[in-house]
Amino acid sequence: MTIRVTQSMMNSQMIRNITTNMTRMNKLQEQNSTGMKINRPSDDPVGITFALRYRSEIDANEQYKKNVNATLSVLEYSDTTLGQAGDILQRVRELIIKGGNGALEQTSLDAIKVEIQQNYNQMIDIANTQFNGKYLFNGELTETRPYAKTELTDAIDLGASPPVLKAYHNKTDSGKINYELSAGLTLDLGVSGNDVFGAPLDPAATPEEMAGSDNIFALLQRAYDMLDSGDSEGVADLLDQFDTRMNTILTKRAEVGARVNRVEIIADRLLDIEGNLQVSQANVEDADIAEVLMKLKMEENIYQASLSVGARIIQPSLVDFLR
Amino acid sequence: MASTFHGIETARRSLFAAQSSLNTTGHNIANTNTAGYSRQVVNLVATNPITAPGFSRHHTAGQLGTGVEAVSITRVRESFLDSQYRNENKALGQFQVRQDTLSKLEGVVNEPSQTGLRSVIAKFWNSWSDLSKDTENIDGRKVVLEQTLAMVDALNYSARQLNDLKDDLSESIEIRLKSAQSLMGTIAQLNGEIRRIEGLGDHANDLRDQRDLVTDQLSQLINVRVEEQAGGYTIFMGTRQLVAGEVATPPADVASLMEAYDAGDLNSGQLHGTIYSRDQYVESYLGELNNIATTMAFGEFEITLPKGTVLPEGTELDGVVYTGSNRILDQETVVTVKGLNGLHQLGYSLGDPSDGLPFFVFQKENGDLVTDDSAGLQGLGALNFRLNPAIAENANLIATSMRVSGAGTTGEEVINGNNSLAVLFSQMRDTRFDFDSGPDQNRNTVDAYFRSIVGQLGVQSAEATRLLNNQVIITNQVEARRQSVSGVSLDEEMANLIKFQHAYNAAARNMTVMDDTIDRIINRMGRVGL
Repeated sequence: MTIRVTQSMMNSQMIRNITTNMTRMNKLQEQNSTGMKINRPSDDPVGITFALRYRSEIDANEQYKKNVNATLSVLEYSDTTLGQAGDILQRVRELIIKGGNGALEQTSLDAIKVEIQQNYNQMIDIANTQFNGKYLFNGELTETRPYAKTELTDAIDLGASPPVLKAYHNKTDSGKINYELSAGLTLDLGVSGNDVFGAPLDPAATPEEMAGSDNIFALLQRAYDMLDSGDSEGVADLLDQFDTRMNTILTKRAEVGARVNRVEIIADRLLDIEGNLQVSQANVEDADIAEVLMKLKMEENIYQASLSVGARIIQPSLVDFLR
Repeated sequence: MASTFHGIETARRSLFAAQSSLNTTGHNIANTNTAGYSRQVVNLVATNPITAPGFSRHHTAGQLGTGVEAVSITRVRESFLDSQYRNENKALGQFQVRQDTLSKLEGVVNEPSQTGLRSVIAKFWNSWSDLSKDTENIDGRKVVLEQTLAMVDALNYSARQLNDLKDDLSESIEIRLKSAQSLMGTIAQLNGEIRRIEGLGDHANDLRDQRDLVTDQLSQLINVRVEEQAGGYTIFMGTRQLVAGEVATPPADVASLMEAYDAGDLNSGQLHGTIYSRDQYVESYLGELNNIATTMAFGEFEITLPKGTVLPEGTELDGVVYTGSNRILDQETVVTVKGLNGLHQLGYSLGDPSDGLPFFVFQKENGDLVTDDSAGLQGLGALNFRLNPAIAENANLIATSMRVSGAGTTGEEVINGNNSLAVLFSQMRDTRFDFDSGPDQNRNTVDAYFRSIVGQLGVQSAEATRLLNNQVIITNQVEARRQSVSGVSLDEEMANLIKFQHAYNAAARNMTVMDDTIDRIINRMGRVGL
């Protein structure tokens, strides 16, 4: 402790102390106005590394949520489309049962034939479905139409350029488009057309090979041809192959449904993670406003007290008391 | 035998002494708030008494006092406290500059925020993830393009700010050196003046105060050691003599100052702090930013290429050259790729089967674009980091696909629906890059690396602030002790004023008494009966 105290010592000490008080108040004021207890790295060097990590993870999570939504819409659209294909098959099945009856006259068979033809065209439209301008059933060749829009009555012409082919000759792409759904996790969305509608036939396939195929377009072609020639027995025999194809399409649809479930689970998990991250981030970064206000009030009191005491101490000197 | 007028002489001396004391008190009061002023006192000494040695010693008492004399006026000061103060003051100067620089660096880093580097890098990865969902179209590419430009701009801007900070610090070194030079000149000049005045036997109190004040100021700029010698203050910085007598030999320019810095002679004070801040702190953060830029472009990392990938003809990965039919990967393959540049060149841009361009380039001062690290990383950094201008002009050149149809034939066509490369790019956010090509491999995600930089800055800045606060307290304590010794206390001066006034009044009364006694002798004696 110094023994001899001068006016200037008291003065500078008071200024110093008031400045210190002000600095503390300023800090609290900053926390109060930004609502954050970390406003620069030096406020909490360890805390800020956590804060930055949480921020980055929240950013990434936000992106994964967007990706999950996009995945869900593609999958749901695929599901709807496969549903429509199922509906058409159901109708075709009825027609085939009707046509295989054997008791119908050719005019009736012709009527069925026409309807088969319409369903064939409709099925091609479904196989060529686009989502956001991209073909759904052609793997990664999203810009190429997978199935030829030729009529059942059109003849195959391999010599033409480009060759005229039927839908059952078309080979779809097996590439798989992956979406990134969370760190290190990608999920493929694609449903290959050949898996759904049946394996393609070689353009030079023999009638036997054609008869062995359960490609839906080939089946429709054969049904059409048989109805055209009045072969209702042959039509009835197609029923088994139709049923296998229908089952396959149902299985594919179930697979898509399962994938939707999986994505929904991922979505739930992303939401959970988001909640956890936000809580963690708030714990590290956010100021406890009530506490800050309390402290601010205390600092205010200290500040005012130091001002009033200072005012009393630095004012008088012996000068005031000498006559 | 004392003279008749002895008493008058004694009273005169008393009056003069009291007057000097009063005047000095007045000087003290006048300089209450003068920086560097130390209070002065008049040293009073009783004058030699009259003695009458000898055999015929008179019958009066010897050793008759002859009054008072003001022998000297000196300042009250402890030189030990001065050297202590200068020691603390140099450290204070050093920490002030360091703390100031680090807090400016915190401003450049600008975290936590929604606009800092971390945020633009996160947006960059996100834009690739968005693009991976729609690789056939231009819109996603435009977003990647814009986010890349934003990220590159942020790195450029931060690097520019750091370079500006470096320039500012260099300039401030020059300014501070000039001011140190002029302070040393002043000290040398004061040395001369003080020597001349004190040669006449006086104390050059006010000039000494001035010299101490200037030395204090110098001690904030550099580390000084002061020795008081016959010629005045001799000042050393480390082993270098800066002032001796009337000759000042300050470092002539920044180059010779840097020599002293390198040799360890300059080891504290604001100048040391400024050089240290520039060459250690700013330089190291600039290095870290450069490392982020070069590592994103060229840093090695491992990735798994998906099955079905068709690599561009002639691609070389891990020493394997992919050509002809082995370009098509029939299984997932783990390879080491050199940076995002290397990765981008594994893919194909929209509709163009020639392989992808280098994604980033570094623009040399002469305008040359560097696209690989074959010539080393010298001169490549955050400042000249750019998105490849060809890509910046045409977003379709952003590669997303890793598959072509008809591989090996002349009519190769890119399968635009393949999004493998875009997904890989997006997954780079979690990929550990090799941030240090040395043998001690330091693999980290870009985000984690940036976090560690911010954390390190936080620690350094918090530490510097703590040291500065401590140093302020210590320096203030020493200064308070110095003030306690040398400072002017108005109460004390007022009390002294009264004391000396009384002494003066009493001396005057004494004079009157003497006057009366002599009056009695001269005018009244020998007039018996009159």
